[in-house]
Amino acid sequence: MLFAQILVNGVLLGGLYGLMALGMALVWGVLNIVNLAHGALIMLGGYAVYFLFTGAGIDPFAALPVAMGGMFCFGYLLQRLLLNLIVRSALLNTLLITFGLDVVLTYLAQLAFSADFRAINPSYAGANVTLAGITVPLARLAAFAVALLLAGLLWLLLNRTRLGRAIRATAQNLVAARLYGVEPRRLYAVTFGIGAALAGAAGGLYGVVAQITPYVGTSLTAKSFVIAIIGGLDNPLAVVVGGLVIGIAESAAALYLGPTYTDVISFGLLVLILVARPARSLRMA
Amino acid sequence: MSARWWVPLLGAALLGAVPWIGDETIMQFGIYLLLVAVLAQAWNILGGFTGYPSFGNSTFYGLGVYGTAIAMAQFHMPFWTGLALGGGLAMLCALLIGLPILRLRGPYFAIATLGLNAALSALVANLDVAGRNIGLILPLTRNDVLFYEGLLALLLAATLAVAWISSSRFGMGLIAVREDEDAAAVMGVDTTRYKIAALVLSALFSALAGGIYAYYVTFIDPASAFDPKLNVQMVIMAVFGGPGTVLGPVVGAFLLYSVYQALASSISTAAALFYGVVIILAVIFMPKGLVDLGWGLRRMGPRYLLETVRQYRL
Repeated sequence: MLFAQILVNGVLLGGLYGLMALGMALVWGVLNIVNLAHGALIMLGGYAVYFLFTGAGIDPFAALPVAMGGMFCFGYLLQRLLLNLIVRSALLNTLLITFGLDVVLTYLAQLAFSADFRAINPSYAGANVTLAGITVPLARLAAFAVALLLAGLLWLLLNRTRLGRAIRATAQNLVAARLYGVEPRRLYAVTFGIGAALAGAAGGLYGVVAQITPYVGTSLTAKSFVIAIIGGLDNPLAVVVGGLVIGIAESAAALYLGPTYTDVISFGLLVLILVARPARSLRMA
Repeated sequence: MSARWWVPLLGAALLGAVPWIGDETIMQFGIYLLLVAVLAQAWNILGGFTGYPSFGNSTFYGLGVYGTAIAMAQFHMPFWTGLALGGGLAMLCALLIGLPILRLRGPYFAIATLGLNAALSALVANLDVAGRNIGLILPLTRNDVLFYEGLLALLLAATLAVAWISSSRFGMGLIAVREDEDAAAVMGVDTTRYKIAALVLSALFSALAGGIYAYYVTFIDPASAFDPKLNVQMVIMAVFGGPGTVLGPVVGAFLLYSVYQALASSISTAAALFYGVVIILAVIFMPKGLVDLGWGLRRMGPRYLLETVRQYRL
């Protein structure tokens, strides 16, 4: 029974992890940017939902689309005005510029929102249902459902629309896509915008199930990175599965080994996967 | 001897004289400055020449810190023995993990090294001999001149090693790996052995710096010894100065650390913001580092800035 409870906890957490990694995997796969500011974008989304909820009284789940829209515009402009300048440069440079961005965003958030812990606490935050002796927190279940929904929508967008086809074509071969009439500057900005919007949604949900501070970004970036690698960069649904793997592994590790080991487990798993199956990890989207 | 050699030598002599000129604050500043410069230069051997973006150099630094500390605090060995043990431990570790980890490329290598750092940090935090989470206390010595000159000697040694690398067949092989690893292998470069040699050398310098610093601060714990932020600093400083160049990482470390300290003491709250903005601007306008910026400005003036932006933008 205890194991079943851990499994449920891990799955619910893992869905949210998967959503966090979706945007990172998309940007990485298409733009070849490992976005170290991804966690900072998640953090900003969390604050957006927090202020929509506490300030305007909008239910956090209803506030998600609003926050996503705002984050899309922010991401679009960021790519269009800043990141497009260096997108063809070496990997180390894209790592560095996004790290710099992370520092700036974290600092500005600390200035604007203070370093206090914030949690989004709607009236149903503590509600549970108990099924066959397993406790399922409703807010976490809803967050999990939204995460799955968004992953499904992203899959549809990528595989069933003209825009998605353009994004996939660009990921495979920028020059060829250009020859077929894709405008890469705009397309890169749209892709980064979608990534930022997904990060924003993940941040809002994270605020409901955990607490946000300006400094939460770094560890979330690392987690998203690990999950994006485990899931691969070309299929959003596989990224969610990667999230589930990490979620379950962390829940189990927290119980059997102690909470200090959760990060070690996710990184250890990652190193093992990388070393055991390097061929797979080298085949990028 | 040309000016190319006079300037660094004169700089080194001036730095060597600091303990007899400066006060305690300057010494403290200088010791940390030299520490990050050694670390940036050590990172340069692997990251700058082979292009493997290591985020695990703090692992070797940490092994140097702990090797020295365990030898001194638990087994009452002299400092130099401890330092040698720390350096040996890091080289052994680099040798053992090099083979599996250096097969990975690009971001996969980066995250694997980051994971290694987290794993070793957790391991140390659970070992009795390493003082678990609480850490270790080393015998107290107030001999700042020794630490300062030791780190300066180490920085000189690391820089000389890099100077040798950059003009040797070994260094050419490393650069070939960076530019196109498969092509290098086809041309007969034993890429695996070259990469491991670079990693071991990089590990040695990082560990020695860690050992000296451990004796200087006298108190160490897993969080400070295996700090990934320290690794990020090494990368930024080396890349800011010019990865794959002889003096770039040293100049980058000196400049960035000085600017950061000056800001932190005058406008403490905005220092982090400024640091971030500097990094962003540096990547946009000098993606090949300060050293390349210097050459470019001399060659074609301010037009260099526009040219680099034009080269990498979409």
